[in-house]
Amino acid sequence: MSDLALRIRGLKKQYPNVLAVAGVDLDVKRGEVFGLLGPNGAGKTTTLEMIEGLTEADSGEMEILGLNWKQNASEIRARIGVQLQSTSLFNKITPREALTLYGGYYPKARTADELLELVQLTDKADAYHITLSGGQMQRLALAMALVNDPELVFLDEPTTGLDPQARQSLWAVVRKIKSEGRTVILTTHYMDEAEALCDRLAIMDHGQVLTSGTPAELISQLALPSVVELSFEGRAPAAESFATLLGTPIDVRGDLWEIPTPDPKTLLPRLLEGAETHEIPYQQVHVRRATLEDVFLHKTGRSLRE
Amino acid sequence: MLLWRQFAMEWKLYSRDRAAMFWTFAFPILMLLGFGVIFRGGDAPRLSVVWVKPSQMAPKDEALLKTLEQFPTKLITLSPSEAESRWSKGETAVQIEPINDSFRMKVNSYLVAQGQMTAQVVQQAFLISQSQLQGQPMPKLIPVSMESPGHAKATNYAAFLLPGLLGMNLMSMGLFAVGMVNVSYREKGKFRRLAVTPLPKWIFLLGQVMHRLTVTLIQTIFLLIVGRLVFGIENQGSYLLLTVVMVLGTACFMAMGFALSSFADTSETYAAISNLLFFPMMFLSGVYFTLDAAPKWLQQAVIALPLSPFLKALRAVFNDGAALTTHLLGLGIVVIWTALCFGLAVKRFRWA
Repeated sequence: MSDLALRIRGLKKQYPNVLAVAGVDLDVKRGEVFGLLGPNGAGKTTTLEMIEGLTEADSGEMEILGLNWKQNASEIRARIGVQLQSTSLFNKITPREALTLYGGYYPKARTADELLELVQLTDKADAYHITLSGGQMQRLALAMALVNDPELVFLDEPTTGLDPQARQSLWAVVRKIKSEGRTVILTTHYMDEAEALCDRLAIMDHGQVLTSGTPAELISQLALPSVVELSFEGRAPAAESFATLLGTPIDVRGDLWEIPTPDPKTLLPRLLEGAETHEIPYQQVHVRRATLEDVFLHKTGRSLRE
Repeated sequence: MLLWRQFAMEWKLYSRDRAAMFWTFAFPILMLLGFGVIFRGGDAPRLSVVWVKPSQMAPKDEALLKTLEQFPTKLITLSPSEAESRWSKGETAVQIEPINDSFRMKVNSYLVAQGQMTAQVVQQAFLISQSQLQGQPMPKLIPVSMESPGHAKATNYAAFLLPGLLGMNLMSMGLFAVGMVNVSYREKGKFRRLAVTPLPKWIFLLGQVMHRLTVTLIQTIFLLIVGRLVFGIENQGSYLLLTVVMVLGTACFMAMGFALSSFADTSETYAAISNLLFFPMMFLSGVYFTLDAAPKWLQQAVIALPLSPFLKALRAVFNDGAALTTHLLGLGIVVIWTALCFGLAVKRFRWA
């Protein structure tokens, strides 16, 4: 048995007006939580749909649990669990019924009670689906993705639109899934989610993987692992002339100047002195370590949620 | 086994949908009861005429009233003030009032169809009463009775309406319970969710089709039972032929639902497309009334839509006990629609 849950080479998908996926390579190891990170329209969902067998790839190689769609379609379906971006059920089906119904589609299925317990929906087991909150519906969708005791689980933006508390409880379930030894592939456009959940991740934009690795690796890949921030009251002023003077680029983002640097210790005195002389009306100075957000900004030239 | 579970689940969820249950089972029966009772009996409906009572009845008044009795009119005798208040409320279609040696007749412009007809009857009665007053004998009147045209044994409106409602049921089943539902499943991603499971899709669709078929069967049986118990309507023809016609109609409208659903991406688009077929068929295909009074081209045009020939064949069997030999062309049209829609559905049906 290969130690890869998923192996993809040169995956491509052309839609009428856009090359949605432009040659993607991915390796996902068994037992890890792998994140596909990128802004809306980066090609994450199309990539996932091709892996799940919902969309046919134009070209490329794909091995899922050592199987491929051409020869082993029903076996793949039996061994993967999928949570789509939105899961629509009948208004008047109960979580218990939905899990039993979908469990019946598979050769082996976990019991509804066990799954309800796992996603903490036991007290809503017999309530109509329509009466569940957004977070409860997402947890039910997650339970449905686990109904066949899958080895590989796909979660497409599992926490989009949820409040912080509901996100935390969903994260807890994802960690539990991992601890059961399953492989999880999820997409997200939340940096904190990727850092909190993923063992490894790939950053996608314009249908391509820009970089991949563990969160720590990605950050350390940056030549400029620290960021000095100057905050302003209201919008930050233009920074070109000051950047030239300082001899290092400044990113203006909202009410901040962000100055990535390999060496904040040398930069800071010069920066503060220059700011004093040129009467830059900043409020506060803050030095922090670079995050995935900075990796993304650095790789794509834009912020993740623009 | 999988199919049976799918079918049972369809029924379980359906039985929780009160609104759907009402429209499917109760509504057709209420329609039959309502209209059947309103137009009960074989007599012509009485045309009501308000007669404003004069302080003193003249011979010409007596003569007119006596003649009116020969016509299918219902005389409502009121004092001038009562008549005035009834008129001002708009409830009177025709009001007649003796003035000196003549009469004055008012026709309600809002009830123009009923009013005109009544006014003509009154005019005739007036002419006859005039000639009687001059000593001539009462002319013979042509006896009038209300019957359903071309339906030898149908005795009342309920018997005409019942097959119409059976046709309506099939059409709603196909266009809404099949077509609309599948568009919304596709739109909301229910099909996609199924597509990632190993369930063969045909089992899902077949479970759905079986559910709709049993619903239609129960609907039909309910209507037949109520028609028989309340209005004494019986199938005049063979149950075999009735089944044949119903099966052809069911297949046609079900295929139409699947075919139409492939032309719409959203429920809104589907509603617009299906209404283009639904409303012309509902009003122009003889569900509630015959189109004998409509222009010839319109009658011929609606024959091209499947509901009209389907209902003609159904009524021939159900109301007249006829064979289907004279309806082969009509049933042929139904079969052609079925084949066309089925072909389109197979070719175009999309899961996502």
